[in-house]
Amino acid sequence: MGKGVALTLCKRLSAGLLLLALLAGCGKERSEPSPMTATLGTVAKATLSQLPGRRAAAAPAKATAKVTRADLEKYGVPILRVVIPVRSTDALVTPIDTKGDVVTWSTTDGTTFTLRDGVLIQTRGLGPDLMSSQAPTVSQLLTPGGTHPRQYFFLGTDDRTTRRAYDCTVTIAGQEVIEILGRSHRVTKVREECARAQGKITNDFWFEGQTIRKSRQLISGAAGFGEFELVID
Amino acid sequence: MLPLPSRILASLAVSTALFTVPALAEIPNSLNLNGTTGLIDMPSGEAQEDARFIYSLAVAGPITRATISFQFTERLSGSFRFQTWRNWNELVPDAPEKLTDKSFDIRYLLLKESRYLPALTIGMIDFTGRGLYSSEYVAATKSFGDRLKVTAGLGWGRLGSYGGIGAPFGDRPPLDPSDYGTPNTEQWFRGDAAPFAGIEYRINDNWTFKGEYSSDAYVMEEDRGLIERDSPFNFGFEYQRGPMARYGIYSLHGSEIGFAFHLTLDPKTRATGGVMGAAPTPVKARPSRTADPDAYDGEWVSQPDAGPVLRQNLAKRLAKDGIIIENLSYTAQTVQIRIRNGRIDAGPQAIGRTARALSHVMPASVEVFEIVPIVNGIGASKVTIRRSDLEQLEFAADNATLLRQKVILSDAGPLAANAVGDDGLYPKFRWGLRPAFRLSEPLKGDVGVRLGASYDIRPGLVLSGSVYKRLFGNVDRSGEYSDSDLPHVRSDSSRYTKFADPGIEKLTLAWYARPAENLYSRVTLGYLERMHAGISGELLWKPVDSRLALGVELNYTRQRDTDGGLGFDEYDYDVVTGHVSAYYEFGNGFIGQLDVGRYLAGDYGATVSVDRVFANGWRVGAFATVTDVSPEEFGEGGFDKGIRFSIPLNWALGNEGGTSLGATLRPALGDGGARVDVDGRIYNTIREYHGTALDTEWGRVWR
Repeated sequence: MGKGVALTLCKRLSAGLLLLALLAGCGKERSEPSPMTATLGTVAKATLSQLPGRRAAAAPAKATAKVTRADLEKYGVPILRVVIPVRSTDALVTPIDTKGDVVTWSTTDGTTFTLRDGVLIQTRGLGPDLMSSQAPTVSQLLTPGGTHPRQYFFLGTDDRTTRRAYDCTVTIAGQEVIEILGRSHRVTKVREECARAQGKITNDFWFEGQTIRKSRQLISGAAGFGEFELVID
Repeated sequence: MLPLPSRILASLAVSTALFTVPALAEIPNSLNLNGTTGLIDMPSGEAQEDARFIYSLAVAGPITRATISFQFTERLSGSFRFQTWRNWNELVPDAPEKLTDKSFDIRYLLLKESRYLPALTIGMIDFTGRGLYSSEYVAATKSFGDRLKVTAGLGWGRLGSYGGIGAPFGDRPPLDPSDYGTPNTEQWFRGDAAPFAGIEYRINDNWTFKGEYSSDAYVMEEDRGLIERDSPFNFGFEYQRGPMARYGIYSLHGSEIGFAFHLTLDPKTRATGGVMGAAPTPVKARPSRTADPDAYDGEWVSQPDAGPVLRQNLAKRLAKDGIIIENLSYTAQTVQIRIRNGRIDAGPQAIGRTARALSHVMPASVEVFEIVPIVNGIGASKVTIRRSDLEQLEFAADNATLLRQKVILSDAGPLAANAVGDDGLYPKFRWGLRPAFRLSEPLKGDVGVRLGASYDIRPGLVLSGSVYKRLFGNVDRSGEYSDSDLPHVRSDSSRYTKFADPGIEKLTLAWYARPAENLYSRVTLGYLERMHAGISGELLWKPVDSRLALGVELNYTRQRDTDGGLGFDEYDYDVVTGHVSAYYEFGNGFIGQLDVGRYLAGDYGATVSVDRVFANGWRVGAFATVTDVSPEEFGEGGFDKGIRFSIPLNWALGNEGGTSLGATLRPALGDGGARVDVDGRIYNTIREYHGTALDTEWGRVWR
């Protein structure tokens, strides 16, 4: 299934006119590092030429030129990198809708991630999607020792809305310096630990000031966690 | 080469396996050679998970069993089995080379396993047939840790034929041939009872060892020289591959080798792990009224080209979801859009996508969205959504439930006078050439091609027809007249199969209408089905928020020639049939239906059916018809009964819409209790857009 989505992204990429989704990890395992390995244009060409034997040809894609911040900045739009390990998906997404503090980011093949101030609240097009959620605000996440409820709503068996409710606690894990596409960011790592009777989950956020620069957040049971990096503001 | 249906199901399994998500379901409670929950040949005290649909194929020496089982509820399950005994003439040269039989099982989980108590099941095997497999049992199963399960039980009938301990409920009378096909009540739990037992040990996640002591003496098979039963002990290994497929190999009776394949499908989930398809376009936010009061001006209504422009813009947005606009009407505050949903398999999702498209196209002054799904040219219901609710709830937690509380569901109502239709929709000719399956038994079916065409004359009026050509398969096509004493309204099906190849399946003019609020009507004229032609009329009463619906149907038909042409020379038979029907939605997807009236052979009676419908389009049901035809006249089977199922192929493939694989399976197709098989009966076409069905799938509105 992960492959299914990944391949779709890959295929759309080759045909994509916006070229704002990039799938460095197309058809290869997560264990290999998957940096953004090419400029958007080069990837498009490489993918096109590799279409007949896409799986076998995943490796050569790595050999293409490395994508640079300058390349991405040329597009003049914010860019978020989304990695979903259980699906071997690695994509660059851009905003298609902004309503106040809620931004919906989309791949070119119509998978969307909706974040409120950087906190994931919905996804669409993954299959096992996060349909809606009650999520903490930035100020809640920046309150050490703070507690808040969290609810996730999914389409469960027989397409019925199912809910997972957690009680969460925030801890500040400390200061770090992280690098995102060649740029260093001094960040504060915030850990949101959430528990319910059936189990626990942990979401991690790396704050640069009030901005969530990077995060690892639960999407759904079957899609697992997503890793988000705000590459271009 | 596997037989056809298993090939179809196997390919389904392969395609679903490709999409298997990493988090595997638990290994299901295991199955026996009968395709029901159990050990090897013996049943166990457990049940399958609710709603599991199982296809089993088992070969045990000279006996082949193909079984379809369905766990109707958490506790109740039913099975339909097709059995073949090969080498039936081993000792009796005059006998046919093989004997075939069909049987129904039913079982009920009396007790769920708890810390100290075992799971306890009572069941009946082949409880309404010729009795070749008839047995009844009570079985208990207890797990010890997560690897070992121990089963013990007591059986009657075949399961009481070895090592009996006496007959606690009296003698088991022989089954009179006149009772074949009717519930064998006089035999149930009668005669010798015998204990059986077994263990199941899970070696690892994939491999299981099973051993059992069987209380079936295989008397009939030994008498015929098919099997030498040297030992009551059977044992074997099973291999579980993913959550769906299980294979078994066994040593049976000390003399035979057995094989089994079980495919377990879960209609409650998607093989893909979720609803696939691209994300929706987000809701378009309107500017605030204070910031841009001009945007809310309703002046645009007076622009002459507003209607066509809006319609065109909407059509463009909705086309990518396969939604077609039948009509658009509007005022400065309200828009009503009538849509035909061709592809999305959930009404709420089509409604949600339409609402979002309206938020992009309609000027800001329009606050009320009325969405009317159209089926067969008539309005099924009206869903009224306030645009401000859509805007406010888009990112709210549990937005589907919150939106449902605000939405108003009502009768579709009449088409507005100023509606903007589409010149391209009527009249419209469509045609298609598609592969088609006809499945008549778990191991019998035909694969063919169907050439279909339809001509939409105006909304609700459609001329359509289809021609079927068989390519290959193993459905009976002997071409012989049946020996039924009743008019051969169904039993000459082998003649139709043989001679109508290719043949005109149907050629009809159908008219659907809404005569009044809550009322739906249909009149169909022409070649209604491959055996009968004539006129069929139907009227249905169904308020959108009612669980109950009532209908009447009246038909006058003549029997068609078997050559698939247009003539009526072969049978001089015409009949007036009709029914009064009640439909009730019990909730959780269960739908009950009662039809009382006159059937094709001129017999009077009633049909009871129960179907379970799943959000993803699966449908599994059972039915029984009793009429004033005597069991002797009806022939083998005694009365009409069967199970039916329909599996949408998008369930396996994960895309939206598409075709389905389905069949009605009967132990015997007799002439009693038969109804004309007309297309487009109203209830199931509109139900999808009425309260109970919409509520069940409402979570899809934001998908």
